[in-house]
Amino acid sequence: MTGDNRSDLFFLPSWPPTPDVLLWVSLTIVLAGLLGEFVFRSLKLPRVVGYAAVGTAISAFGAGIGSAALAPGLRLIVDLGLSLLLFELGARINLRWLRANPWLLANSLVESVLSFAAVHLTLVWLGTESRVAAAVASILVATSPAVVMRVASEFNASGQVTERMIVLTGLNTFYAVLASKFVVGWLHAEFVGSWFRTIAHPLYLLAGSAVVAALLAWCVSLIARRLDLRNENSALLLLGMILLALSLTKMANLSTLLVPLLAGTMLRNSTERPWVWPRHFGTAGGALVLLLFVITGSVWSMDALMTGAALGMAAILSRLAAKILATAALGRPSGISMRQALALGVALMPISGAALVMMADLQAIYPAFAAQMTGIVFSAVAVLELLGPIAVQAALRYVNEDKLR
Amino acid sequence: MPLEAFAESRALTLGVELELQIVDAHDYDLSHGARDLLRLAARRRLPGEVKPEMTDSMIELSTGVCSDYAGILAHLRESRDVLVECATKLNIGLSGGGTHPFQDWSQRRIFDTPRFHMLSELYGYLSKQFTVFGQHVHVGCPGPDAALVLLHGLSRFIPHFVALSASSPFVQGTDTGFHSARLNSVFAFPLSGRAPFALTWDEFTRFFDKMTRTGVVQSMKDFYWDIRPKPEFGTIEVRVLDTPLTIEKAAALAAYIQCVARWLSFEQPFRPAEDDYLVYTFNRFQACRFGFDGTFVDPQTGEHHTIRDDITQTLAAIEHHAIELGAEDACRRVRDDIGALGNDATWIRDTFEREQLLPEVVRQQCLRWSR
Repeated sequence: MTGDNRSDLFFLPSWPPTPDVLLWVSLTIVLAGLLGEFVFRSLKLPRVVGYAAVGTAISAFGAGIGSAALAPGLRLIVDLGLSLLLFELGARINLRWLRANPWLLANSLVESVLSFAAVHLTLVWLGTESRVAAAVASILVATSPAVVMRVASEFNASGQVTERMIVLTGLNTFYAVLASKFVVGWLHAEFVGSWFRTIAHPLYLLAGSAVVAALLAWCVSLIARRLDLRNENSALLLLGMILLALSLTKMANLSTLLVPLLAGTMLRNSTERPWVWPRHFGTAGGALVLLLFVITGSVWSMDALMTGAALGMAAILSRLAAKILATAALGRPSGISMRQALALGVALMPISGAALVMMADLQAIYPAFAAQMTGIVFSAVAVLELLGPIAVQAALRYVNEDKLR
Repeated sequence: MPLEAFAESRALTLGVELELQIVDAHDYDLSHGARDLLRLAARRRLPGEVKPEMTDSMIELSTGVCSDYAGILAHLRESRDVLVECATKLNIGLSGGGTHPFQDWSQRRIFDTPRFHMLSELYGYLSKQFTVFGQHVHVGCPGPDAALVLLHGLSRFIPHFVALSASSPFVQGTDTGFHSARLNSVFAFPLSGRAPFALTWDEFTRFFDKMTRTGVVQSMKDFYWDIRPKPEFGTIEVRVLDTPLTIEKAAALAAYIQCVARWLSFEQPFRPAEDDYLVYTFNRFQACRFGFDGTFVDPQTGEHHTIRDDITQTLAAIEHHAIELGAEDACRRVRDDIGALGNDATWIRDTFEREQLLPEVVRQQCLRWSR
């Protein structure tokens, strides 16, 4: 008879115990949750600053993403978290408002073009190659939808600056996704020579994403007609639908930013009936959003900062100046006071997850070229990940639009 | 501060004030757009005035002095059109209705002026819960004594005005069962209710002086009576109406009050007496709770019938005055309402029944207000 030759205490864990992914993820959630509450209560700052700070700390210990491409697992979490926020944001873009107030549309266009020009000129002036500068500038047109939506809902903000910040963010994210693909494709065409590709890629993204988005919007409106979206179960169903659309998007190689954004916008504009659902679609969505901020907080590395910090800062400042200039110039004709216009310009400052995703997409198709940009973009993200939410909060407080104090 | 002298005004002229809800076009909750809206409206010419109110989710628009229904309607239409245009530019909605059906009163913010902050200190949560929206109708009076006689004469008809204008069945997200739940908020204030029974201005001045000596009030503004004299304008002000969902109804109600006032002044069908007030709060409660189906107790005869029947009788009595004042259309509207149409509270309930979503009800209220 062969006996069990394991030790009598085989059921005990090996020493030292080996941690798995679950441990790290759960530790991250607990830490981020605690730190988020801490910064909210004692420093009166948005909770997301605490989440991002956890990411920043992870990077400080060298465990961050650095300038490498986003690992598939992390990319998935970023996509999920962002798509929820983008869908929520899209659902607040009322195109009828743009028709009724064309100055607002003008504000959006001017603000985006000026940001692009300012960042491009600044970077070139500081010695960056013009092609790289153009690519960076196109990505940085976008305000972070994640930060804007999160801070607005955390402080229960409402009012002209809040509404306009949301609409302008949705629009400039839309421009940035298309522009970054177009600019980089165009630069590529100069070398490889395929002009067809330059035009075809953004077109495919736009048309394909619109189709998937329309499908998602249609399904959601079907559900909403039969179920109350405020109810927890229907909110989960909604969350499931968005994730499903996301997987379709990935399979079809479409933009994970455009689909939820367009779907939300289509839903909002397909009917005038108001849509009401719990913030981030309940707790499950909330956890994804928390992880999103931790991950985007962890993109920096010493290397990236060494190469890009100065340029990143210069880009941030020139971009801020451009956005403030645009909103200040068009504030009065579009119906807000100078004080509100200044606040709006500052509120458009954050850069975060969306820029990261656009970077990751470029890294996937044009790795060598994208490598030249990571230093600048990641430095900008690292800085604004912490400062962006604070800027939005300060702007909303300056015009009295934050309800929670 | 002594009671100011009663200014002169032409008898039976009309002025209307409407308190409006400012809502978010995203979720149709109350939003604080008063300041933005006032800034845009200030660049435009309006027949009356637009003013801030207690909380910054509310504005008050008023007409100028008008002589009839057509005038009031024209003023309201002009102001409404300008305000709606400004609101569209800001992506906010404007709506009538005595209460916002689902707003959370703790979220309201007091509009930043010293008087509003003082009132907020004094009344605490009442001042925020007082985020209710009313229509005030001013009727011009030839002199102070005539004003007081008219005031006490009109008191008998308060239930009519309440039932006709009622548009506040929902409060804080629930159906209260009332047609006008707004008035329940008003009654919580210590100086609400009826005016003291004084038929001459001397008598009224004595009452006012006694009250100021107690230090409880400083001016007429501190009284929240259902009808109060407004010496500054030379009018009496009927304050029990909920803001209706349309300007047409607001104008029709003002015209109905004008016709009743003309009938009372010209024919003196009743002699006002303190005993009229024995049934006052009962009748008013019935109107708030049940609308046209409420019981009306005739203060003279003690006879019971429905408020609907009493309005029908009154419409017959004022017919001639309606023709004189050019208010036939207005009276026809009133007749339609007590008939098949019902008041705005009924419309709000029916719409909720159909849509099952209060934000959607508010959206449709905004539509009715805008056209």
